[in-house]
Amino acid sequence: MLLAYIFGLNQKKLIRTNNISVKYGDIDIKFPNINLDYGGQLLIIGKSGSGKTSLLNILGGLLAPETGNVLVNDVDLFSLTNNKRDNFRGQQIGFVFQTPHFIKSLSVNDNLKFSQYMSSKVNQSKIDILLKKVDLNHLKNSSIQNLSEGEKQRISIIRALVNQPSIIFADEPTSALDDGSCYNVVDLLTNLSQENNTTLVIVTHDKRIKDKFPNKINLNDF
Amino acid sequence: MIFKLALRNIITRPLSSGLSVVLLSSSIMVIILSMLTMKQMKYKFNENANKIDLVVGAKGSRLQSVLCNVFHIDYPNGNIKLNEVSFLAKHPFVKSAIPISLGDSYKKHRIIGTNPNFITHIYNGSISKGNIFIKPLEVVIGSNVAAKLKLDIGDSFNGSHGIEESTHDHEDFLYRVVGILSPTGEIIDQLIVTSLESVWQVHPDDDKKGSFDLKTAEEHDHHIHDHKSEISKNNKEITTFDLKTAEEHDHHIHDHKSEISKNNKEITAVLVNYNSPRAKFTIPGIVNQKNALMGAEPAIEIKQLLELIEPAVNIIYVLSLFIFGLSIFSILVTLLNSMKDRKYEISMMRVGGASIRLIFVSIILEGFFIGLIGSISGLILGHSIMGIMARFLNLNYNYQFTGLVFDRLEFALLFMTILIGMTTAIFPAITAYRLDISKTLKNKI
Repeated sequence: MLLAYIFGLNQKKLIRTNNISVKYGDIDIKFPNINLDYGGQLLIIGKSGSGKTSLLNILGGLLAPETGNVLVNDVDLFSLTNNKRDNFRGQQIGFVFQTPHFIKSLSVNDNLKFSQYMSSKVNQSKIDILLKKVDLNHLKNSSIQNLSEGEKQRISIIRALVNQPSIIFADEPTSALDDGSCYNVVDLLTNLSQENNTTLVIVTHDKRIKDKFPNKINLNDF
Repeated sequence: MIFKLALRNIITRPLSSGLSVVLLSSSIMVIILSMLTMKQMKYKFNENANKIDLVVGAKGSRLQSVLCNVFHIDYPNGNIKLNEVSFLAKHPFVKSAIPISLGDSYKKHRIIGTNPNFITHIYNGSISKGNIFIKPLEVVIGSNVAAKLKLDIGDSFNGSHGIEESTHDHEDFLYRVVGILSPTGEIIDQLIVTSLESVWQVHPDDDKKGSFDLKTAEEHDHHIHDHKSEISKNNKEITTFDLKTAEEHDHHIHDHKSEISKNNKEITAVLVNYNSPRAKFTIPGIVNQKNALMGAEPAIEIKQLLELIEPAVNIIYVLSLFIFGLSIFSILVTLLNSMKDRKYEISMMRVGGASIRLIFVSIILEGFFIGLIGSISGLILGHSIMGIMARFLNLNYNYQFTGLVFDRLEFALLFMTILIGMTTAIFPAITAYRLDISKTLKNKI
């Protein structure tokens, strides 16, 4: 025990996976074990069909793995009841997707507030600070439908952060963006997650960003 | 926040939500409208029918006799001789027998020739301004007549021949307003009341001609009224007829310029009230044995009339229930379509930590709000249209209906509609509950 502690073998990890796999028809996809520290950043790359999104969904507690388990903050996600897992996800995890979807009937501010409401963490000043950081404070009361795709993606990053989660999972956040917007979004994600001491996991097949992350897993290698 | 979300989801889909609300409010409106109409009609009919035990008039339709002489909404069957009904006042089972004579109107308000007991005994009316009529051609007007026609004490007017459609004015006979009645909420508010002598004075030839047929009033166009001729006969005979109130007539001033045989004087009907339960079994029989007379019991006639109307009202109820069913189906389709459109939104909510319970409640709330908005707008519409209809009914049928009457059943209906709206939302809520987030996100996001 003492040796394990000294060599960091028993160091507390934010995310730990153990032999997880999924099954699509007759195909079994096995994933590498992941051990990620608090505040770390990880890029998961792979071709289409390599199971990137499935892995992200498993890590986020959205898809139950066929085998293995996922520990986030030492909590086995799939041993929780659906309600508790939803609640855990709301408290600990933020998501950013390729196509940002919002509640169309609500304004920008209400969408962000609703995210906080779902995890019982309503804090308007946090929303205001984050909106200022992405220069979108002037759109606070606009309808979400009036925003450009770039603006929507920036708001979706803020939405992922408003609850001050431990982890952000981003699924192909730059694939639909031009080069300029792509680097802006990556910078925004990395900077904001660092500022908030949030762990960042990005899955993508976008080669433009692979050099930005030293910590990578290539699913094609497994 | 969840209330805001549910409301915003309804507002941002104005067409589909609007259709559900419109259908729901239309069905509620029709239900309330038929409920209020039937309730007020039953109340008004029964209230007025119970004031009079027997209407004695000319032979013909009993219902028509009751509608004309009690509710003042139809034409008389004909006239009867005063001396043929004089036995009623003397009968020991009769509490009061009040003669009425119809024939003229003023701006669609009927002029009723009668005695003051018509006001005090039947309608418990009282004079709010001025005095009771004493001389011929003096009138007391109902409160609505005064308000609507802007008539006041001392004002005068010419009556028109006929009850509904006037054919000509009695230009040489000027009625003078001597009293205005306090409002009663009953038919008397719409009437112009005068003495029998006034009617006889305006229609001096009618007794010679027999009964004047009010339906063919145009036939009277050519009548030339001889105004210098006989002015009504002695009031002694009237007071004899109504022995119970004879003392009230002591102060009457009688104009005895000429004398016409009492036997020839005609009236439209006698409104009889009994003072013994036995009268119900004897008086109508006695009356109906006489060749020229017919007795009609308002309570029985009205019961039969309402039984005739009720099936039609029930058909309206069934129709409104059908629209109600359609609106519920529309809510279901609206919410299901909405779920289809919002599956990514719902997935995102789930991803963001919204529990299945929260999503379930938010969809049920949408059903609640559609039910609430639909039923409240239906309630307001129903009462408003009843109010508009009431004005038309007041104007055309002299009957006071109102949109400001409420029924406990309406609140039950409101509660039930909201409950049904929420129940309808359960199926779409289950659809959202069963949504596979991972699959939805994989397909689209």
